[in-house]
Amino acid sequence: MHLLLAEDDSILADALSAQLRGAGFTVDHAPNGPVAEYLLLKQPFDLAILDLGLPMMDGLTVLRHVRAVRPHVPVVVLTALDDLESRVAGLNAGADDYITKPFDFPELEARIRALLRRANPGSAPADLGFGALSFDRDARRARVGGEVIDLSPREWTLLELLLLCRDKVVTKDQIVQTWAGDGGELGVGNATEVYIHRLRRKLEGSGVAIRTVRGLGYLLEAEAGKAEAR
Amino acid sequence: MSGASQHLLSVLARLGRPELSLRRQLLLWLLLPQLVLWIAGGIATYQLAAGYANRAIDASLSQASRTLARQVKPMGDGLLIDFPRAAQDVLEADPKDRLLYTVSTPPGQFILGNKRLPAPPVMAAPRLNDPYFYDGELAPLPDMDANVDSARHQPLRLRVAALYLAYGERGSAQQTMLVQVARSSANREELARSIAVDTLLPLSALMLLMTMIVWAGIRAGLAPLERLRREVEARAPDDLTPLQLETAPLELRSLALALNQLLASVQHSVVTQRRFISDAAHQLRTPLAGLKSQTELALQAAPDAEQRTRLNLVQQSAARSAHLVNQLLTLARAEPESALAQERRPLELRGFVRELTAELVPRALRAGIDLGVDGAEDDSAPILVQANALLLREALCNLIDNALHYAGRGAEVTLRVGMAGEQACVDVEDNGPGIAEADRERVFERFVRATDQGNGCGLGLPIVKEIIERHQGNVSLLTLHPRGLGVRLRLPLLRRRL
Repeated sequence: MHLLLAEDDSILADALSAQLRGAGFTVDHAPNGPVAEYLLLKQPFDLAILDLGLPMMDGLTVLRHVRAVRPHVPVVVLTALDDLESRVAGLNAGADDYITKPFDFPELEARIRALLRRANPGSAPADLGFGALSFDRDARRARVGGEVIDLSPREWTLLELLLLCRDKVVTKDQIVQTWAGDGGELGVGNATEVYIHRLRRKLEGSGVAIRTVRGLGYLLEAEAGKAEAR
Repeated sequence: MSGASQHLLSVLARLGRPELSLRRQLLLWLLLPQLVLWIAGGIATYQLAAGYANRAIDASLSQASRTLARQVKPMGDGLLIDFPRAAQDVLEADPKDRLLYTVSTPPGQFILGNKRLPAPPVMAAPRLNDPYFYDGELAPLPDMDANVDSARHQPLRLRVAALYLAYGERGSAQQTMLVQVARSSANREELARSIAVDTLLPLSALMLLMTMIVWAGIRAGLAPLERLRREVEARAPDDLTPLQLETAPLELRSLALALNQLLASVQHSVVTQRRFISDAAHQLRTPLAGLKSQTELALQAAPDAEQRTRLNLVQQSAARSAHLVNQLLTLARAEPESALAQERRPLELRGFVRELTAELVPRALRAGIDLGVDGAEDDSAPILVQANALLLREALCNLIDNALHYAGRGAEVTLRVGMAGEQACVDVEDNGPGIAEADRERVFERFVRATDQGNGCGLGLPIVKEIIERHQGNVSLLTLHPRGLGVRLRLPLLRRRL
């Protein structure tokens, strides 16, 4: 993957290039607006990281010029300004995402990968499972430690939702709505608890745990990682 | 920030103090001359009345003296006085206002009447046939009873008419006769007094009326000033909007205009200062990002443990600086001048809090804290408030962050949304160590930290307070048993339009 990093602060640019290369990307660096524009128009980059406060030509102008020629190249705007107006201006000019400095590199990397996935569909893994759990969406089959577990359609939908939102809270509302979207009827009431209970039993020994979050819903996480900071 | 406006308030407050009261000065200037004029008028009236009374009395005395003189007839060398009883009665008719008389031929040959009448001023050649008038005193009788009213012993003040007449044959034998008629001047004074009183009474009533009218006039005239004072007094120190000018009278308008100019310049400097803080914070972000990234890289490449420990500290320091910069910017955004702070929308509080908490659960789990929301998920009535979602989010994030930082691993942090009377409230509670009683007041001040734990910068609770007060709400600390800290946010409910 070939990225362009347009950032005028040389110390930050140096570190960021190194971190991106460490994450497996090929990185070109543009120290100012005109260079960034020239490179973006000349070469087909997979993604651009654009600082808004570039010298000689600001990032928004670069973005507008590039968008006119290359409407589909994903652009992450990187900026020290995070007020609403700049955010709106950035997104209006065609930015795909917006990150404020200072940032955590893992977050930047995650967003870059998400944008790249969106730009090249079909790269999402079919198997959502982890640990001893394998969850094959194409084959519609789930295994724990190689053994197939029997899941009802509702249990399947519920587990799929929890796996897609791994490490995030899934509310009861979301669960009920997902079931309804799958053709099930609404108004299942307390049924969620029943299904969660069944799923937990079926997932025993898989290293995947479903945690109840008080007053909010459920969260699927790796069992071992529960107590440790990551 | 509000120093200049505070000063302004104190100047205006001093205007209302009694020693500089405009009303007092106006009253003094209007009423004091009136009083002086009233006194002068009284004296003048009395004098004038006394003059008229004198003239009347003098006329009657003059007449009486001539009448008496007619009764005196020359008889050879002497004088014969034909003074019938009836005439005496007429002269002495009024017992209160006794008429005293003397007829004498100078030098001092007394003929008739009261010997004690004061003598006329000595004159070389007295004018004849034309009476002199003078004031004098009747000496008290020496042989008067001691038990008689002491007032009697007072010399009786008199008005005397002295008429010199010539009698005898024309030529050498002609002699001069003196007829004196006197009357107590008490009567005259009484008359003058009653005239004066009669004129001064309505005058006084008029003056009282004038005073009341002037008082009312001053009150009405100064009312706009009072209004202006109250308007300025009722202002919050950070309210720098211009004063209303439309209703102010001309004289006040210039004062209000001057105040508005001052307010505007204070406002300008406040805005400039805040913009500076915001700009500075923005400028700091890029180098901080560089520092953070470089440290992370160095940390990955560091060969030995000692270096890694040091680099870890550098990274913590960078993270802390980044946090401080972000908090400063949040604070700047919450300031009333920020365009963002103005924007309000109706917001359903229960859903909002649930969503936000759900978002923060992964972070809480990493910190080993059980974060949750109290209350059932779906059966509660919605609570609507008018709020700026971004700012409210910052406030709640700060509270939850605080709880995650300071409650300690294994603690529980619970959010609760409900109603407290006419207000919506959000409680954020933890069962951590809480805040010592002594620090409770101070934790809302900027850069005050109640603990040396964690990487805080002392802006969390001040930000919460600023944001919530910007929403016409308030923040209070709750003490929980057996331990822990609760922070309660109160927000006014959204009033539905009728």
